[in-house]
Amino acid sequence: MRLRMVFIAVLASFGAWGVLHAQRPFREYEGREYNTSEQDEFPLPADWGQKTEWTRARLRYPAVGTLHGWYDYRGQPVDGGPLNWTIDYPRSDRHLLQGVRRLTRIDTRSVEQIVDLDGDDDVYNWPMMYAVEVGHWNLTDEMADQLREFLLRGGFLMVDDFHGTLEWNVFLRSMNKVFPDRKIVDLDNKDPIFHVIYDLDDRFQVPGWQWSVSGKTYEYDGFDPKWRAIYDDHGRIMVAICHNMDLGDAWEWSDDPRYPEKWASLAYRIAMNYFMYDLTH
Amino acid sequence: MFEFLFKYPSAVFSRGTFVLLSGWPMWVLGAGLLAAAALLAWMVWRPGASQGRGMERRMGGWRAVFVWLMQTAMAALLLFLLWHPALSVATLKPQQNIVAVVVDDSGSMATPDENGSTRKDAAVRILNSSLIKELQGKFQVRLYRMSDHLERIEKLEQVTAQGSATHIGESLKQVVEDANSLPIGAVVLLSDGADNSGGIDLDTISDIRRQRIPVHTIGFGKEKMAHDLEINDVEVPSRALPESRLAATVHLHQRGYAGQKVKINVKEGNKILASQEITLKPDGVEQVEPVLFSAGPAGVKTIQAYVDPLPNEENLRNNSVMQLVSVDDRKPRILYFEGEPRWEFKFLRRAVEDDTTLRLTTDLRTTPDKLYRQILKDQDPNTNLVDGFPTKVQELFDYEGLILGSVDQAYLKPAQQQLIHEFVDRRGGGLLLMGGRDSLADGGYAQSGLNDLLPTVLPDTKKKTYVIDGADVELTAAGRESLITRIEENPDKNVERWKKLPYLMNFQDPGTPKPGATVLANSIPKGGGGNKLPLLIVEPYGRGRTAIFATAGSWRWQMLQPVADMSHEIFYRQLLRWLVSDTPKRVKVSTPHPLISDDSHVKLRTEVRDSTYLPSGDATVEAHILGPDGITETVDMRPEPLEQGVYVADWTTPKAGSYTVEVSAKHGQDDLGSDTLTFRREDGVAENFHVEQNRDLLEKLSSETGGRYYRPDEAGRISKDITYSEAGITVRETRDLWDMPVIFLLIAGLRAAEWTARRKWGVI
Repeated sequence: MRLRMVFIAVLASFGAWGVLHAQRPFREYEGREYNTSEQDEFPLPADWGQKTEWTRARLRYPAVGTLHGWYDYRGQPVDGGPLNWTIDYPRSDRHLLQGVRRLTRIDTRSVEQIVDLDGDDDVYNWPMMYAVEVGHWNLTDEMADQLREFLLRGGFLMVDDFHGTLEWNVFLRSMNKVFPDRKIVDLDNKDPIFHVIYDLDDRFQVPGWQWSVSGKTYEYDGFDPKWRAIYDDHGRIMVAICHNMDLGDAWEWSDDPRYPEKWASLAYRIAMNYFMYDLTH
Repeated sequence: MFEFLFKYPSAVFSRGTFVLLSGWPMWVLGAGLLAAAALLAWMVWRPGASQGRGMERRMGGWRAVFVWLMQTAMAALLLFLLWHPALSVATLKPQQNIVAVVVDDSGSMATPDENGSTRKDAAVRILNSSLIKELQGKFQVRLYRMSDHLERIEKLEQVTAQGSATHIGESLKQVVEDANSLPIGAVVLLSDGADNSGGIDLDTISDIRRQRIPVHTIGFGKEKMAHDLEINDVEVPSRALPESRLAATVHLHQRGYAGQKVKINVKEGNKILASQEITLKPDGVEQVEPVLFSAGPAGVKTIQAYVDPLPNEENLRNNSVMQLVSVDDRKPRILYFEGEPRWEFKFLRRAVEDDTTLRLTTDLRTTPDKLYRQILKDQDPNTNLVDGFPTKVQELFDYEGLILGSVDQAYLKPAQQQLIHEFVDRRGGGLLLMGGRDSLADGGYAQSGLNDLLPTVLPDTKKKTYVIDGADVELTAAGRESLITRIEENPDKNVERWKKLPYLMNFQDPGTPKPGATVLANSIPKGGGGNKLPLLIVEPYGRGRTAIFATAGSWRWQMLQPVADMSHEIFYRQLLRWLVSDTPKRVKVSTPHPLISDDSHVKLRTEVRDSTYLPSGDATVEAHILGPDGITETVDMRPEPLEQGVYVADWTTPKAGSYTVEVSAKHGQDDLGSDTLTFRREDGVAENFHVEQNRDLLEKLSSETGGRYYRPDEAGRISKDITYSEAGITVRETRDLWDMPVIFLLIAGLRAAEWTARRKWGVI
């Protein structure tokens, strides 16, 4: 009996410690494309535990089922499904963060942080959030409420790698739950986000690795790249929308000589500008 | 009784000099005393003195000593009387001296005290009943009435108790001046002592003593009110930025209402700005209560602090005090130079973005060789910053505040570090240093030209002082009082609010606060065993001020609290306003009392600096004054000899009302700048306060000048006591002491004491 009480007390204190600290520690998750549990496949950087001023968070979200009817050899939907949020993870993230270290003075961690819109406060500890393949996301009302709160408090969301009209509509369905009364607008070339480090007046479509198979820079009917945003009442971008492009793949494959350098370079520059814009606005 | 025993009034003894009139040498008296004592001792202790009747035992030991002492005292007294003791005292020659009778004619004398009779009535009654007649029997009497000045009167009917102020010192000075040409032997002052001029200065007392004029005072009025609350003073900053949170520090005391709750209100015109309920302290104890209010938009504000009348309160006119606050239409500029992109930079900018008074320019090192400059909207983009951190005086001195983020001291050249030093010390700017991995000790500041500016002594350690780990925050006692850390208006709620703030993302050890620094908040690292580190430290430095906010993790106060919560915004706005609100312009005019009560004199002081903020000692400074009813005057301000760059002027306001002073300074043809000040004169206010009789002042005045304090019922003694004075036309008189009744009683007493003792011991 006494041992049980001690055990409960220890558990409770850990729980209390966790609540008190409210910042979840780093951990890895099973990915669609990379098996992080196999350290040979994608080892952790040596300094993964180093505490820094900044890191980029990746949003874990529930997804719709397959939109386009594609499945892999395991019978898992290639698009959609519970692991949709892990597309490019963690290789894309780790490459990108190395780029941040090399190209800016941001003191970044070498590894990403996975966050949830689960009603817990942890998401607010990571004001820079990235979500991939949001053409498949399916936010609940509660998740949308928390995302709205996150953004209005000062958080920044960058969404990427979703293509065409169908995926745009799926994205919009959840995004409209977050901000039903805010317009999504095309970013003007003069916007500071395109000039905060690099001048990015001449942008072009950045395709994903599918280009090496299809030979096309677009997917579905996403012919033209769209740089769009949702602004707050002070004229600051809260949500930066990269539609009809795949920056995540560009970061992921930037070290592969088969992936053209010009796309990788632009993808990094866009990311650096977007991160710097967030930290200066 | 005194006069019955000692034959003469006490004034004779206090002013007289003791003398022996016999003319015989003192040593003879001494020798006689010794001889008498020896003889008596032999008689008491000679062998056989107590023989035969068993007296040896009855007269032994201390009894014999007692008898000897009694007999020796008697002998000494008789010898003393033989030398003819007397008092030599100066007395005023009758009818050749003037007694100045000064009646307090100020408004406080109209206060009804006992039986509804005013103090003025009581004074006039005493004078009319017998005092004037008795004085006129021996002296010439000159009547005066006194308020803010002294005025000769012919009749007591001219005393009206309508004077606007009480300046006892000034009035007595005039009497002393009259004494240079008139034989004024004494002054009788009838007053309640409620002086408004801050007391009687030592020079006036010295002048009176030099003339040896005793001032006899008769005090009127209750020394303590039974039921009264008085606001003694209200302190507010004389200048403020628009929409700033200000504190009106109200000083008050009360009698008869201890423990009760009252509300202190602060209003401007008819608009109540703030209200605060307080509990009154014990009777007579001064209580200091800060009441927070918003400065509002630019303009000159007449602020009134008041308490509503309390039940049975005896004086209702001292429940409110006014002060002036000049809310400058000024938008101070702040340069925030940040060494690395981080969330604290983002959220600090956001926190102050909506503050329409502060103008923040930020420079951020985004990449190793790139700076990103941002100027908030509505600001002039021509910031004079060419490239990087300022290198020239004009570039930096155009700002009023400077924030350094995580900037390694090696990034700043020695000349730039010196420039920052001058910015604070000479220009009077504010410097805020944030925590960071390249800040403070970790940034090498201990070995830099900025070390002197820091409000702390940095830790001497090889360990990193900047730690990315959670830390809670706690206000210190000073922080609880400070407006910088006042997120909630109510002080108790504010303390609770701070306890509930989300923890900081990181903290830095800033070292030990220097003696002149104030720690407003501490950080308490999680897992640190409760150890505390200074978090927010402020210190005045030279003409400016410096502060350290030893963290870059307060952004969690924004992200971990609801959108509607404004804690982070309020904190940073108040911190940055503190940083710049006292940064002076090149020309700065001030006056010690922006609101003057029942006084016409105003002192103006202007500090003038050149374009590099060095004192300008050879400027031409003019004050253009505009007053009520079209009053205008231009006054040349003269240089203050011991303070370079300071110019002063004294001016007399012709009437009550508001006055605006615009001061302009030129050096040759170069315009150095200008400044504007508003002050106000109010009449009929001073006498509402301190209406209790100031007996201390009256007693001190009398004792310092050789006079005496009397209660009204003792006034009849003045005519006798007043005779003894060394002022005016006097004659030296000698008063014998040998025939004082007390001498006779002493002789009888000594004999009776010895006889009684002997009888008791059976040795008679």
